[in-house]
Amino acid sequence: MSRTDSAAPPEANPQVRPPRDGGDGPLGFVWSSVVMGWRWLVRMRTALYLLGLLGVETLIATIVPQEPNVPATVDAWRAGTEGPGTAVSGLIDLIGGYDVYGSPAFLALLLLLFLSLTACLIPRIRAWVRLVRHSRPPLTRNAGRQEVVARLSTTREVDEAHRSAADLLRGSRWRVRVEEARGADGVVAAGPPPQVAAEKGLWSREGGSLLFHLSFYVLLAAIVFGQLLSFEGQRAVVEGERFADTPVSYWTYGPGRWWSEASHSGWILDLEQFHVDWVRDPLAPGAGQPTLFRSDVEVTHGDGSVEQTVIEGNRPLVVDGMKIHQLDWGYAPFVQVEVDGELVYENFLTATATDGGHFRAAVKAPAADPDVGLSVFFYPYAPDNEAGEPVPTGAPFADDPLLLFQMFRGDLQLGRTAQTINELDTSELESAGGAWLRPGAEVDMGDGVVVRFVELRRWVGFQVSARPQIPYLLLASGLLLAGLWPALYAYRRRLWVVAERDASDGRTIVTVAGRAFQRPQTFDDEHAALVERLARQLDATPYPADGATPAPVGVEPGPGGGRGPDAVSEEMT
Amino acid sequence: MSQDQLAELSRLLYSPVTLLLYVSAAIVCLYSLTTRAGLATTRSGAPAGAKLQRLGIALAWTAVAAHVAHEIVRGLAQDRLPLGNMFEFTSAMALTGALAGLIYLTIVRKKPELVGFVMLGAAVVVSSAMLTYADPGPLMPILDTWWRTFHVSVIVTAAGIFTVGFLFNGLHLLRDTAERGLAAARAVPTGRSTVGAAHIKDLAPGVPGDDLDSGARNPDEALSGRVAPDEDHGSTSLPVEAERRAMRTAISPLKLAVGTFLGTSTVSWVFVATPTTTLSEGLTRALTVNLTLVAVALIARWFVPFLPQASTLDGLAYRTIALGFFAWTFGVIAGAMWAEQSWGRFWGWDPKETASFLTWIAYAAYLHARATRGTRGRGAAWIGIGAFAVLMFTYYAVNLVFVGLHSYAGLS
Repeated sequence: MSRTDSAAPPEANPQVRPPRDGGDGPLGFVWSSVVMGWRWLVRMRTALYLLGLLGVETLIATIVPQEPNVPATVDAWRAGTEGPGTAVSGLIDLIGGYDVYGSPAFLALLLLLFLSLTACLIPRIRAWVRLVRHSRPPLTRNAGRQEVVARLSTTREVDEAHRSAADLLRGSRWRVRVEEARGADGVVAAGPPPQVAAEKGLWSREGGSLLFHLSFYVLLAAIVFGQLLSFEGQRAVVEGERFADTPVSYWTYGPGRWWSEASHSGWILDLEQFHVDWVRDPLAPGAGQPTLFRSDVEVTHGDGSVEQTVIEGNRPLVVDGMKIHQLDWGYAPFVQVEVDGELVYENFLTATATDGGHFRAAVKAPAADPDVGLSVFFYPYAPDNEAGEPVPTGAPFADDPLLLFQMFRGDLQLGRTAQTINELDTSELESAGGAWLRPGAEVDMGDGVVVRFVELRRWVGFQVSARPQIPYLLLASGLLLAGLWPALYAYRRRLWVVAERDASDGRTIVTVAGRAFQRPQTFDDEHAALVERLARQLDATPYPADGATPAPVGVEPGPGGGRGPDAVSEEMT
Repeated sequence: MSQDQLAELSRLLYSPVTLLLYVSAAIVCLYSLTTRAGLATTRSGAPAGAKLQRLGIALAWTAVAAHVAHEIVRGLAQDRLPLGNMFEFTSAMALTGALAGLIYLTIVRKKPELVGFVMLGAAVVVSSAMLTYADPGPLMPILDTWWRTFHVSVIVTAAGIFTVGFLFNGLHLLRDTAERGLAAARAVPTGRSTVGAAHIKDLAPGVPGDDLDSGARNPDEALSGRVAPDEDHGSTSLPVEAERRAMRTAISPLKLAVGTFLGTSTVSWVFVATPTTTLSEGLTRALTVNLTLVAVALIARWFVPFLPQASTLDGLAYRTIALGFFAWTFGVIAGAMWAEQSWGRFWGWDPKETASFLTWIAYAAYLHARATRGTRGRGAAWIGIGAFAVLMFTYYAVNLVFVGLHSYAGLS
């Protein structure tokens, strides 16, 4: 196959492959479209366009709130209460902008990218394998005409000079080819002279680039594998309570398609205490910032062994192959509601933090008739003023807890309308007044309803996950980086050492010539260092002795020397 | 010393000391650039600007040392590594960028004459950090882990290196435009060369015309390759001054100013949109940033004739960005590992994660573009500029405007 010189005008190059005729008719059309499509995919420009499109999609995903991440914000954007308004919102919905990474467009783009990658890689891998299997460092006919040349003069024999040079180069991890003298007298009439030829970086640069690109397949496989085989569940636990690892005990349960419920070993987590603290001095730097989140837990493993340990923000707990993370926390007031002396509600609320510094929760007591609902505002720090009335503050520490609530009677519509545990659907409810409570206090709301704030604890939201794909992801990342480094930093170089007998004074003239495909700037130094080491080994002196550079070099490229079309690259791919 | 005194000292070390040192290093280095170029007319003896340049480099190292001292004192004042809020990130970015640029230009690549631009960039970044200044303080517990040190320092280093790469990219584009303009002034057709007029042999003798990698191949790069070619290059050359003028006029100052303003606005709108700042304050900040960068662009335009050839700058940009890309990839992977440890998922398309992925794509596009014939040269450089805008967007917009798990700017 003839070589292509892509720097030359197109007419100077032969057509890479004559267009294959797939015959007439619909099949021929399909075939030619496939060929056209494939050729389009192989082009680097296509890959660039696809990368650009991926960038645009990602930009949309950065700017527009994503439904899987912040569903509430997306709802607000759709309703027009936040964001650019309903018109734009509809447009975003149309292009799937609220769930970019789940949209068909993104999947199609990903498919195209991987197709393009495959199309680019197949010929490159073949070429690389050929290179590794068959290439030998090429010989030079005229070392003096290479780009970088130095000459030494020594008393050693030609063969000895070649041997030393070969050892030296092998020691510096060059691939070396020694071409001995062919004739009996060491004189070869035609062809390259006896020499040591060496090269470096030819495999590793391209090989690194291939490894880098191949690692994306590993990455993709690991992600798909993970989607199928992983598991993630959430559960809030109040201090002093426990929770067991069974599918039904999670509040949200998200198994992959191939996740087996038998993988739950039934370990038990006891939350003994949750510690949280802040910078309390309002004048100190970082006032109000949290300084501590820690759960003291006791874990009973599936095999019955018990372990006392802690879970912190950056220290998840691994139990029977599952990771337990401490995700969020809040206050858990224990609230009782009595109607006509009968206990209709008794539970820990899981009050969640709001932007305003207070916590929200709801009490839903369908056992009463009519239903009782309390919309609860919890203020951790609400000290009394002079009049003995509590003043709510935004401080998060529970020094003076206050529970404010608004009572509703009527129909809670449980199970009929969408409502979270901390939200009341008040459409069928009537307000029945409000009150405030300190821990241990109770209040009579009239109509036989008594609300009691028994005690205050905290709750911690735990996330439990099993991700078997992690080792493969690490492998993919490792390959990615391992490939990227040589792809960027392995420089292709060739070197020749030609020793010749100088008949006039009986000394041996050693020519050390080199050529750099990338970063020629650093090659000069490398070359100089090599020449120096060789000179030391051979007890050689610079030649000509006055140190003047020999005949100007590099002006006219010799065969295989100079900057041919394949020398122009600083290519990364 | 008490914490308060340390905090005060770190502030002093930052705002007047480090900033002034960067500024003066920039001034001295840039000035020496012009005098060394002037050597072309006084070709005997030592280069006129050599001493000045040495002074500039010394100032640059002093500035970096003062910056390091600031970081240490600030770290002592708050008993933690100063990588916890936006001010600290920006400051560290300036430091890593200045250090990387300085090491690269003085030790690795031996192009000390360009240090002035790196110092100018560092001064701009250092002062931009003042926009998000926060007093030393403790960390949120979730951030208080060696993972943060690891992830954040790698990412910040990558950002610093990218900033230097952007600088070279911008200078490359300016110089390339100037060289094309000069070639046009000499009525030499540039054809459809994608690497600029540097490769027209007539313009810069001694430089191989087919060398796409770098014009710095010229072994004796002393002057002929580095500065504008001087008088005795043949009858086609213009006198030095005229040539400089021709180079400058090739870059329309109006276009440059407006372009820079608009380009900067793609990121600086963030200050207007930041929920925690008032409209007038945001506008002032955005305008300050825009106008400062317009001024910097115009200053750079004036220095265009003294720059190395466009192809050299292109090579510098590529090398820096390649290193930054490696660091960024590593940093994003480290971030994913931390996220798995801390949030229980390695990747969740949180705005910051999405944006850092976007940055990665943008720089990958640059590297690919540079390896593609047809987009190499100016095309790739523009993609590089765009990629830097994306990086800044990732950094400012996502921290300040979009709410996500990475909202730690420390400004509220």
